[in-house]
Order: sequence, then C-alpha cells, then structure tokens
Amino acid sequence: MSEQGLSVSEVCQTFRNENGTHTEALDNICLTIRPGEIVSLLGPSGSGKSSLLNIIAGFDAPVSGEVRLDGERITGPSAQRCVVFQTPALFEWLTARENVTFGLKRSRVPPARRREEAGEMLRLVGLDGFEDSYPHELSGGMQQRVALARAFVLHPRLLLMDEPFAALDAQLRYLMQSLLLKLWKKRGQTILFVTHDVEEAIRISHRVVIFERRPGRIREELTVPFPMERRGELLGEPGFQALREQIQRLMFTL
Amino acid sequence: MKRRRIRFDTVGLILPALVLLLWFAVTAWGGMPEYKLPSPQKLLYVLADFATGRLGITPYSGTLWGHLFHSLRRVAGGFALAAACGLALGFLSGRIPLARRLVDPLIHLVRTIPGIGWLPVAIVWFGIGEGNTLFLIALASFFPIYLNTVHGTSQVPEVTLRAGQMLGAKGFTLFRTVVLPAAFPDVAVGLRLGLGVAWAYLVLGEVTGVTEGLGAVMTDGRMLGHVDIVLATMIVIACVGKLTDWLLLAACRAVCPQMRRGRDVP
Repeated sequence: MSEQGLSVSEVCQTFRNENGTHTEALDNICLTIRPGEIVSLLGPSGSGKSSLLNIIAGFDAPVSGEVRLDGERITGPSAQRCVVFQTPALFEWLTARENVTFGLKRSRVPPARRREEAGEMLRLVGLDGFEDSYPHELSGGMQQRVALARAFVLHPRLLLMDEPFAALDAQLRYLMQSLLLKLWKKRGQTILFVTHDVEEAIRISHRVVIFERRPGRIREELTVPFPMERRGELLGEPGFQALREQIQRLMFTL
Repeated sequence: MKRRRIRFDTVGLILPALVLLLWFAVTAWGGMPEYKLPSPQKLLYVLADFATGRLGITPYSGTLWGHLFHSLRRVAGGFALAAACGLALGFLSGRIPLARRLVDPLIHLVRTIPGIGWLPVAIVWFGIGEGNTLFLIALASFFPIYLNTVHGTSQVPEVTLRAGQMLGAKGFTLFRTVVLPAAFPDVAVGLRLGLGVAWAYLVLGEVTGVTEGLGAVMTDGRMLGHVDIVLATMIVIACVGKLTDWLLLAACRAVCPQMRRGRDVP
C-alpha cells in the first residue's frame, strides 16, 4: 500500500529548561497530510506548532514517535522538505537569483537550467528586475518573496512554512497569501503552514489543525469548506464569519 | 545596480599635514638638534638616497629595495603560517564545540604572554636569525586571526545554517557554501589585524641577528647614530604596511560582496 503524504505518529517532544526542569512541548501528536493539501497549524504561542515543524523539517528529533514522508522516516533536513522561515534568512553574500539557485546547485542541476528556473521563479513572485540585487537592497517583503522562490523552485515534496508572513504588515501579508495560493495553483504543492492568524489559516488552507498549549496537543481539526478558487475574496463569503468565530472559540477557551 | 566608487577622503589629510608643518617648524626654528630629529627636507633626501643610491648621504645608500625584499619575505612567510594555523584552528573551534573547549583555554593562556616576552626563548629555540624572526611574526599574528575566525564562525545565525540544510547542503558543503561566506567579514578583520601585527613584530624579530631587512637597518642605524635612516625606515615600513593592508582588503572585497558595502573597518 502506497503511503503518500506526511504521517506524524505519536510524536512527543520535551525541552530542557535552563533551571534543569523539562517542558513538555508536544504530547502525542498524530497528523496526516495528503499530497497536494495545504494544512495550517493554528494555535497560540507556546502550543508547540513550531516545535512540530522543526521535527518534520528534520532540524530536531522527537523524544518519541516518528514522522514519515511518503513512507520514509524523516531523519534530518532535506531538500524534499523545504522551509520558509519567519525571517527571510537569505544568504547575504548572494544575489536574489543566486539565493534561488543555491538549492538547485546542491541538487546538481546544470547551470543553464538553474538560471532559467530561477529567473522564471523570481518572475512568478513578482521580482523580475531584481534578480541581481543583494538582500540588503530589498525590502522585507521582497526578501520574503525571494525566500518563497528559493523554496518553491526545488519542487519539494513538502513545503514547510513557519509563520512566514507574521513579520509583514497586514496589506503585504494579504498579498503574500494570494501569491502562495497562486503558486499552489501552478504546482499543487503539499504545504504545512504554521500561523497564529485565524483568518490567514482559513484563507489559505484546506484544513486547519488547532493546537492548544501546556502541553502542546491537537485540539481539533476542521475542514475549510470554501473552494480554493474563491479564496481571493473571503470577507463576503457566507459562512466565513461563522467559521472564524468557531475557530476562535476553540482557540481561546480551555 | 551601480556601485558607488570609493572617494578619497581629504579630511584624513588634515592631521598629517599639521604634523608635517609642526615638524618643519620645530626643526627650522625650534632649535631641535639634528641628531635627535632631522628636518623633513633632510629626511626626504635620505629617503631618496636610500631608494636610489644617487646621493651617497648615508652608508645605506641605495639599499632600500634589498632590505625591503627581505622584510616582505619574512612578513609574508610569518603571516602565511599564522593564517594557515589561525584559520584552520579558528574554523574548527568555531564549528565544533568540543574542539573549542579543548583548544581555547591553551590559546588564551599563551596569548597573555606578550610577544616581547617570547624573544629570549625564541633565540634559544631557533637561534639568532631567520628562525626566530619567523616564529615571532607567526606567533603574534596568529591570535587576532584565530580569535576573529572563531567569533565569525560561531556567530553564524542558526536560521542561516538551517536554511542551508533544508536546501540540501550538508557537512563540508554546508561549511564551504554557508558557514565560510557568512563568517568571512569577521575572518577578514582578523586577517587585517594579523597583518598589521605581523609588520609590528617584524621589527622586533629583525632586531637580533639578521643583517638584511628594514628592522635590521633600524637597529644598525641607531647604533651608528643615524637617526635619519631610522626615521626613514619607519616611514618606509608605514607606507609598505599600508600598501599591503590595502591589497589584503582589496582581495577580501573581491571575494566577499558583503564587504563592498563599506560596512567593514575602513
């Protein structure tokens, strides 16, 4: 039986504090994501969503439980699971184009194709004309677009996004969400998206997984009923307010 | 995008010009004896003679280039040795905590012994001559290179390393493509400091037992009472030192785009 997609089984995580005590960050997390799905992890800070993302990305190992992508156990970071962080984390010594080709170079894609794909990707995110700019010459929003481009260009099996738009202003955040949807429509990427913004979660995901904290656990999973084509303008959509309130209630009550 | 050309800052010339003026005044009208401080004009002649051998003012007439060559040779050798050790150990300590715990304490212990304090031991171990000069230059140069390399390497942000990892870079590739470029501005500072120190210790090293070299000229000149040649040699060292620093900086800037912004030490 083909096990496509992400499967998180009974993952637990604890962290040692400075005073020697332990914090239970994640308690028995079970989660599956099907290929092509966009799933949001939604919850207050300290609910373990980023810890889970770090485990799935392969940066940290869980205390117990396992994570599999398409049947294979995850043991470390890989270009199959690219990450877009909250800060752009671009390589300051490389131009925008070179940042985007970095991963392609590691995958031994030939130079001509690298250049072509990076150029195409930067154009898709609206940065044509800025390919040869260095990160410090770009605004925060533009840098985050480069970060998106360099992750997307690798066509990873799973794209992980850790509150990628949290540091941007509301307008820019909205634009970036639209950009993400546009990119998803082109490639059908499987995406795991961590956020604490309820509207953002509803807007971009197929499913929303709500976390609670102390310890980090999954409270509830909800499917967002609106078709992806109508995610552009959700405010007028019937049911949007109700869903938003329902989720907020789930998040902010014990 | 166009890069702004670095403009020569004329404000930097004000103080040297004032010093020159004061120097001239003191020697022309201040009653300064020539054996203590020759006038700027005299020094200019001595320098010209030192370089070209046309005037025959001092016993060192025309010998500048020979001595300069030997000094440059030693600085280059000592600096190269210091850089090789400093960079290698610096990267190791910066990346591997165990290595740092192992190596750092000893290095810091040795560092507290001033370079001059090493001179007697250096003579005992390497004899008088090339060996001890090279040793002193390399030893003194090593520390700023090592310290700055460790600092730069260990300060690479975790998120930058993770970015490299999730894009497929591992092990040595991660080091070569992410750690090294990220740490480079700090490494460059260390190299420049190291080069400056190398020049400083060149003189110390050349004070004993070598017959060729700018430091040797200074010692010899002093013993013969030729203050003018001592000062002339100091000027040569300052100028050549600045030139080598500029060359090193240019090389660093060529390799590292971040440094071209002018955020580094001018």
